[in-house]
Amino acid sequence: MGRITLEKVRKSFGETQVIPPLDLTIEDGEFVVFVGPSGCGKSTLLRLIAGLEDVSGGEIRIDGRPATDLPPAKRGLAMVFQSYALYPHMTVRKNIAFPLKMAGMSEDEKKSRVERAADVLNLTDFLDRRPGQLSGGQRQRVAIGRAIVREPAAFLFDEPLSNLDAALRVGMRLEISELHERLKTTMIYVTHDQVEAMTMADKIVVLRKGNIEQVGSPLDLYRNPRNRFVAEFIGSPKMNIVEGAEAGRHDAHAIGIRPEHIDVGEGPWEGKVGVSEHLGSDTFFHVHETGLADVLTVRAPGEVNHRAGDKIRLSPQLDKLHRFDRDGLRIT
Amino acid sequence: MATQHSRAAARFMIAPSVVLLLAWMLIPLGMTIYFSFLRYNLLMPGANPFVGWENYSYFLTDPAFQTAIVNTLLLVGGVLVITIAGGIALAVLLDQPMWGTGIVRIMVISPFFVMPTVSALVWKNMFMNPVNGLFAYLADVIGVQPYDFLTQAPLASIIGIVSWQWLPFATLILLTAMQSLDSEQLEAAEMDGASAWSRFYHIKLPHLARAITVVVLIQTIFLLSIFAEILVTTNGGPGTASTNLTYLVYAESLLRFDVGTGSAGGVVAIILANIVAIFLMRMIGKNLDA
Repeated sequence: MGRITLEKVRKSFGETQVIPPLDLTIEDGEFVVFVGPSGCGKSTLLRLIAGLEDVSGGEIRIDGRPATDLPPAKRGLAMVFQSYALYPHMTVRKNIAFPLKMAGMSEDEKKSRVERAADVLNLTDFLDRRPGQLSGGQRQRVAIGRAIVREPAAFLFDEPLSNLDAALRVGMRLEISELHERLKTTMIYVTHDQVEAMTMADKIVVLRKGNIEQVGSPLDLYRNPRNRFVAEFIGSPKMNIVEGAEAGRHDAHAIGIRPEHIDVGEGPWEGKVGVSEHLGSDTFFHVHETGLADVLTVRAPGEVNHRAGDKIRLSPQLDKLHRFDRDGLRIT
Repeated sequence: MATQHSRAAARFMIAPSVVLLLAWMLIPLGMTIYFSFLRYNLLMPGANPFVGWENYSYFLTDPAFQTAIVNTLLLVGGVLVITIAGGIALAVLLDQPMWGTGIVRIMVISPFFVMPTVSALVWKNMFMNPVNGLFAYLADVIGVQPYDFLTQAPLASIIGIVSWQWLPFATLILLTAMQSLDSEQLEAAEMDGASAWSRFYHIKLPHLARAITVVVLIQTIFLLSIFAEILVTTNGGPGTASTNLTYLVYAESLLRFDVGTGSAGGVVAIILANIVAIFLMRMIGKNLDA
């Protein structure tokens, strides 16, 4: 079980308020991702839940029981750190067994649990090595192993993949998702990478300056962003924002249209091609001199050739257009 | 970069300093060995005949020699134990965030800046003196007989003085090592349910292992040759109760004016120091690998 509720949780460091009063419920078994630009308070929020920072106000409940004043070890949560935080002088086996040793578990129980965790994470061959002899991905798995042996109510991940190279990151992303499928334990995952958020989450919490901008499923956020910040943050490449006369024609202060929702060929908009990025499956054009915005990013499916300087016509898919008012809120 | 040619040039260019350093070490060493085989007493001027191993047998069978060996080992061992235990304790304390850390740190380090002779004199006259010393005064206040440290426990007193001098060094090295510990490791241990003591024992202490090795090696080198503190406090006495090997060599050559035996003692001290060094490297040197 791992249902976590935050009620009016606040955090300030001295005078500066990092997290204004905030309410959030994380259901049992959910994979929740906190996402936002750096400095948005997502790591602080995670550390508040972990108990590594004290809240300045409000209440945290884990499975209905108040946990606000509990020390980290008593909350029944396990955390995977960005730097992995493995104990360098211990073997992998001892690293994974450390929380069990601290809990005073018997040797037999310890051994069987460590071996089960090692089995799940494909670490059996490395149990007698030290962290220094492992690759980044293996260290990451040891850190996860140390978390799962405790059978916690929830896992907390603090940007666990940011120290890995791109290829490994994709692999580990999948492994963590599969682990969640298997364990069905609540997971809270902090990242600044919206791709990680979109691919892994059941529920995404978008944060800006400590405020929750929107909570919802990945596709919900993609289709119905509540405001311009969420609209621009979710989706890759970023949504195009057009202000001025063209927005006025749609009765809005600004309109947003994603690169994948603009068709190349015929249409009302015209511009000059700048840089093209050929990915094989898709081609992204940066289009200038449209009179709408500095640059529009456009996705064309497949291999489409336009040279720099070519004039092309564009047509936005009107049903996929987002309209925003003066305060940045989306008009529905 | 490192072509055959440039390497040859590099060797050629460092040759003068290597030769100079070798001469710097080898000439005194050679002269000490040479003198150790001569009958060379300043009170009996004249011919200095070659006497073979006589000086060595004289030095090694001297009853003071055994005492000096034991005293040397006790001095080194005692100071190491006190400074490492105290250094770890102080490092843990100074690592805590607190008000006035900067000033406290400077105060903790300051004994290291005091010259050995000066600190020994201060301890001898202002603290341990049985009539005027601070400890005698405190004993007086609580109404007990003042203790004459340097007469009744000369070696222990010297161990105390030397420990006071070397504690800052150990603290400094261990504190910097402590500060290099990744805070996420401690947080991870906290999440894993480790108490403050477990975090110290399982995380901090192993992290300090290498720094402790460095402290032990460096301090041993200096502690084997402690001299000034003994000279200004006890003069090796009473009897030979606080004579270490260095002081015994000094006594032979400059109190008894027997340069030959003194040199033999010096050679013996070099050999013993090397034996200790080999043992140390065997025992704890492996901590420095990797």
